[in-house]
Amino acid sequence: MALWTYVTARWQSLLMDSYLHASAVVQATLLAAVIGVGLGVAVYRSPVGSAVATALTSAILTIPSFALLGLLLPVLGLGVPPTMVALVLYALLPIVRNTVVGLNGIDPAVVDAARGIGMGRLRVLTGVELRLAWPAILTGMRVSTQLLMGIAAIAAYVKGPGLGNLIFSGLSRVGSANAVDLALVGTVGVIVIALLLDGGYVLVGRLTTPRGIRD
Amino acid sequence: MTDQAVDIQLENVTKRYPGGRQAAVEDFSMSIAAGEIVVFVGPSGCGKTTTMKMINRLIEPSSGRITIGGTDALSLDADELRRGIGYAIQQAGLFPHLTVGQNIGLVPGLQGWAKAKTASRVEEMLELVGLDAGEFRDRFPRQLSGGQQQRVGVARALAADPPVLLMDEPFGAVDPITRGNLQDELLSLQSELHKTIVFVTHDFDEAVKLGDRIAVLGPKSSILQFDTPEAILAAPANDTVAGFVGAGASLKQLTLLRVRDIELDETETATIDERPADVRARLTAKNRKYALVLDNRRRPKRWVHLRDLNDGALSTVGRPVNDQVTRQSTVQDALEAILTEGGSVPVVGTRGEYVGAVGIDTVMETVRKLREEHDHG
Amino acid sequence: MADRSDRIRLFAQPVVVLAVVAGLLVWAGTRQLDDIEQRNLNFSTLLALTWQHLLLAVAVTAIVVLVGVPLGIVLTRRWARFAAPFVLALANIGQAAPAIGVLVLFFLATASTGFWVAALPIALYSLLPVLRNTIVGIRQVDPTLVEAGRGIGMSPSTVLRRIELPLAVPLILAGLRTSLVLAVGTATLAFFVAGGGLGVLIDTGDKLARYSVLVVGAVLAMALALLVDWLGGLAEEFLGPRGLR
Repeated sequence: MALWTYVTARWQSLLMDSYLHASAVVQATLLAAVIGVGLGVAVYRSPVGSAVATALTSAILTIPSFALLGLLLPVLGLGVPPTMVALVLYALLPIVRNTVVGLNGIDPAVVDAARGIGMGRLRVLTGVELRLAWPAILTGMRVSTQLLMGIAAIAAYVKGPGLGNLIFSGLSRVGSANAVDLALVGTVGVIVIALLLDGGYVLVGRLTTPRGIRD
Repeated sequence: MTDQAVDIQLENVTKRYPGGRQAAVEDFSMSIAAGEIVVFVGPSGCGKTTTMKMINRLIEPSSGRITIGGTDALSLDADELRRGIGYAIQQAGLFPHLTVGQNIGLVPGLQGWAKAKTASRVEEMLELVGLDAGEFRDRFPRQLSGGQQQRVGVARALAADPPVLLMDEPFGAVDPITRGNLQDELLSLQSELHKTIVFVTHDFDEAVKLGDRIAVLGPKSSILQFDTPEAILAAPANDTVAGFVGAGASLKQLTLLRVRDIELDETETATIDERPADVRARLTAKNRKYALVLDNRRRPKRWVHLRDLNDGALSTVGRPVNDQVTRQSTVQDALEAILTEGGSVPVVGTRGEYVGAVGIDTVMETVRKLREEHDHG
Repeated sequence: MADRSDRIRLFAQPVVVLAVVAGLLVWAGTRQLDDIEQRNLNFSTLLALTWQHLLLAVAVTAIVVLVGVPLGIVLTRRWARFAAPFVLALANIGQAAPAIGVLVLFFLATASTGFWVAALPIALYSLLPVLRNTIVGIRQVDPTLVEAGRGIGMSPSTVLRRIELPLAVPLILAGLRTSLVLAVGTATLAFFVAGGGLGVLIDTGDKLARYSVLVVGAVLAMALALLVDWLGGLAEEFLGPRGLR
């Protein structure tokens, strides 16, 4: 089949594109996790603060990704900067919301017990609360990653890295023999990586969730 | 289904679930008379709810026959059958997106009643269960307390005036005081409406209070004992039933008897303006130690002992009467009063006048006689 | 059940949208526009593109509702229960596919362009939230209520119509809102297959290096998405059964 020959002929560049796509998404998720968890930790105690943070980050999500990328163009130019900024912004809501919900969902008795045996505020946070909220936070990161997979494909428009470039190539080469192959490989590639990363999250979840709260 | 109360016959009803090693309900046969309340009572898992749900075919029997008012329940369309049977469950099962009025009017609506007829029936039902129609009809279930929700649940079950009512632990989810009130109201409703009621509960005291007859059920809904509450309390059929009845069966029996059912003692009485010396003489002559002082209207006022009767008026000596019972009081109330008084308790009539007394010996004798009756019967 | 963040958005969102759009129009209106900008930034063009964009969103929503809700209902019925995990898995994978990829493939496959070439793949892409929420919404109805409904004599279809669906409406509306916002967002890509919409402005502005055009297109698309999300929030708040709020 023509598709198969296409893939085997270009497997190196395909792999490269896939890797770039995945790495952009993963890095953005990690960065968003740092910012998002920090934000979540800052506001989870205050109902108003949580509400505002959630409202802001979910408003970001409603902005069409193409529009946001377009807005960042004049400011940040082409390539990696606007891509990464957009990706990080979009990844924020699931992480912030899950951090807040996860931290607030911890039985207050547990926190009291920790304070009661003399743990300082910071240790309670890092040693107890964040570890108990970790499954929720990880789920938030997982949702963000899935979200980012599709957005990163669009980012090829601003010359961002990744498999989106294949799709756009296919679009621009309409009529030629390769067009469908390009678009198909790009699309399927994103799906495959999305599923792989999702599986990776499940694995990470299993390995890092404290055994006592694993279900 | 007519509006008259109807009987229910269950013949060899069995329920087997596919893949289950044993039947959930095995060969259950029972005859429920029209207008009586039969309570199914038993531990969790004995199949009592399953059996009840086979009457309205929420669970289809694997084999057996069920007739309601002479009609074979299995030959009817299941949905139509259920519209003719009232069904009340724990936590009321009120639909949260409908108002109280809409909830109650559901079955009449399903049966095609005219709107005006349904509306007036809804009002009637609300009044029947003690809720002000104007206030509650347009409220939503979540705005009601647990007890109020249960009342609406009962109102919904009765709305289409079904001759049969199935109730599955309907009062289980409310606090004990509300539960007591709801049980009393059900009894008074029944005295007006005379429905045939099958009531499932795991609370034996509730069964004693409500049931005309109680079926104590064991595994696979086997009938361990099917009899009146008095009979079961006096003579549990086997150890399992006795265990279920629990300790305090004797005490429970006393709730079923009234003071008017037992023999009253005679106490020596005295009027308040008599001279102590006269009373003393009477007591010594009859070889008695105590007298009950009554006022001019023959109402019990004080207990006096022989040694109190020296000087002083009768109104000041001895000790005052703290408690008394009427002929309507249960024997358990009488026992409670005896324990409080520390001795015999006066029994009074409708105007508070003395008619007799009840003491601990009489109560114990009563319990003994009950046991005897049922052992022989 | 609106929590606090929803309440804040209910009030703040339309205000923000109005302010931003007003500010934008003022900014665009007071600038000196050259030929290209004038051609793209005049009122009638903007209106036409916004209208196209809205039409796309409406068409997609209609398809999503007419396909997603009945499909979701069918998948909760006992006889179709085995199919549910398959369909859901399929829809999940469909969501993992990048929207742009789906659009391009559809275009290449049908070798045509235009409104429906954009609308259909976008509808497919936006299907999952409504489908999933319909299924979850019906499944989360308290089974004792369903039994109570059967117990008082309702047929299974009556129970579905008068109990399960009304109680699932809040979740379905939430899913619809997500789908709608997704549709508006993805509609910005419609121009790639000549489907019109506000993406046209963004692309034109980029290609011709007229950033004013690009910014107007992006901000309008953003405002439209926020507005639609706000309307969805209103629908969630006020269209659900009264007894459940």
